[in-house]
Amino acid sequence: MAEGKNLYETVIVTSAKLGEEGSAALVERFKALIAEHGTVQSVDDWGKRRFAYPIQKQTEGYYTLINFESDPDFTAELDRRYQITDGIMRTIIVKRDPRHLNAQKPQKAHKAEEPNIDVEAIAAEAVEAPAESAQ
Amino acid sequence: MADRPEREVRRGRKGRKKVCSFCVDRAEYIDYKDVAKLRRFISERGKILPRRVTGTCARHQRALTVAIKRARHLALLPYTSD
Repeated sequence: MAEGKNLYETVIVTSAKLGEEGSAALVERFKALIAEHGTVQSVDDWGKRRFAYPIQKQTEGYYTLINFESDPDFTAELDRRYQITDGIMRTIIVKRDPRHLNAQKPQKAHKAEEPNIDVEAIAAEAVEAPAESAQ
Repeated sequence: MADRPEREVRRGRKGRKKVCSFCVDRAEYIDYKDVAKLRRFISERGKILPRRVTGTCARHQRALTVAIKRARHLALLPYTSD
């Protein structure tokens, strides 16, 4: 059975309306669900982030990344649960390619710092970038 | 017919050849979570920049497009602005 397992990563975006505890509790429930059907490898909490565009008239949400291993059948069930759970704004489940794992690690490391960067700095960067490439 | 000098090939247009930045980094995988990097490949309006602007190779442009679309879904990047 072990060879039938795959590596996945999933990002859950929960509504800022739930508050820090409410969102953590919701993520905890999904962690338990994943642990039932597979193994949770790592959890990366990005904290509260501003959306790039409003979702359901809200502008912020809590982002959590979970890396896990499970049977391929489980992703459909996980996605179904995401769809029927209130307070979840966006989710993604992506299969991770074992060949790319090393390349992914450093990116994740500096990803963790990102929520601290203020939005204006990112916006300024975005304005500068196209100007450079237009030369 | 006068023979055309070789240097005429790049006539008029100055500028150096662009190199794919992902090939330079030997990137195997373009991460949709790396917003700072993906930002460089979208316009101010949020559109994905064409290869002719960024110099990205075909293979990495395909991977980049997927990464940007995933990031958009998670509201990490805009579909459009204003």
